[in-house]
Amino acid sequence: MKIDPIHQFNIEPIITLGQIGKHTIAITNSTVYMFVAVGIIGLLMLASGRQLIPGRMQSIAEISYEFVASTIRSTAGPEGMKFFPLIFSLFMFICISNLVGIVPYTFTVSSHIIVTAALALLVFFTVLIYGVYKNGLKFFSIFMPKGVPGYILPLVMFIEILSFLLRPVSHSVRLFANMLAGHIALKVFAGFVGMLGVSLGAIGWIGGVMPLALTVALTALELLVAFLQAYVFAILTCIYLNDAIHPGH
Amino acid sequence: MARGFQLSSELIAGVVVGAAIGWGFDKLLSTSPFGLIVFFLLGFVAGVVNVVRSARMTPGNR
Repeated sequence: MKIDPIHQFNIEPIITLGQIGKHTIAITNSTVYMFVAVGIIGLLMLASGRQLIPGRMQSIAEISYEFVASTIRSTAGPEGMKFFPLIFSLFMFICISNLVGIVPYTFTVSSHIIVTAALALLVFFTVLIYGVYKNGLKFFSIFMPKGVPGYILPLVMFIEILSFLLRPVSHSVRLFANMLAGHIALKVFAGFVGMLGVSLGAIGWIGGVMPLALTVALTALELLVAFLQAYVFAILTCIYLNDAIHPGH
Repeated sequence: MARGFQLSSELIAGVVVGAAIGWGFDKLLSTSPFGLIVFFLLGFVAGVVNVVRSARMTPGNR
């Protein structure tokens, strides 16, 4: 039995639309799962009804609204609610696509760094452009921490600028690495079941219970990680936006 | 594991980006290897700053 834990991340074109330059433009499995995630979110938000006593679907929709709204209010203040649509979309997209990815035989959109990097760069440029638009040059005072003696200020400023530039990198790598490593670990442990059974026969199949149990436990962990990473992405977006809204804090 | 990734990604991002900037700096101004050395260390420092910050403010610690 051959096990390739990386195979699940392959991108395969399903419908080829044409070419721009030498680059093929195609609807891939990644695109399809992005549409699936957006479709689920749309269904959850639009088809859940507006009763006074909420049903199950409406409860989920309302809880997710309240959750994101309270996260924004507590980290970026009431002014942060201006960015509610952005943060809510990011949170729901990442959360749903991660959760869809846990279902066996599906593709995890956020396990590709290009997807997470695009989302992180979107946040980075939103912070930068909004910060400069709202505060003008005062925005750059976030690079000058207060109470630093003058002779060391250039060095500190340089480190602050560098750490600002690092944000999109760590923001995207965190989500991508978590999803990638989780899915590889899951695949490897699930593969042990088959490998034991094939190589050792009956004893192997009995021994395979242990990796199987571990796979079940890891799936539960992945469920937590899928939600937690979406939450971390959203809360970091709020923290970064807080810099743009109130620089000098 | 999630938390470990969170903090290590900060540090790795710092070192990698610092080294990349340093390498680009050297390439443009042909000051090799001083740009790489300086920016690598600065990137490391910025990475550590980010690790400390994210350890202080992300939800896992509250």
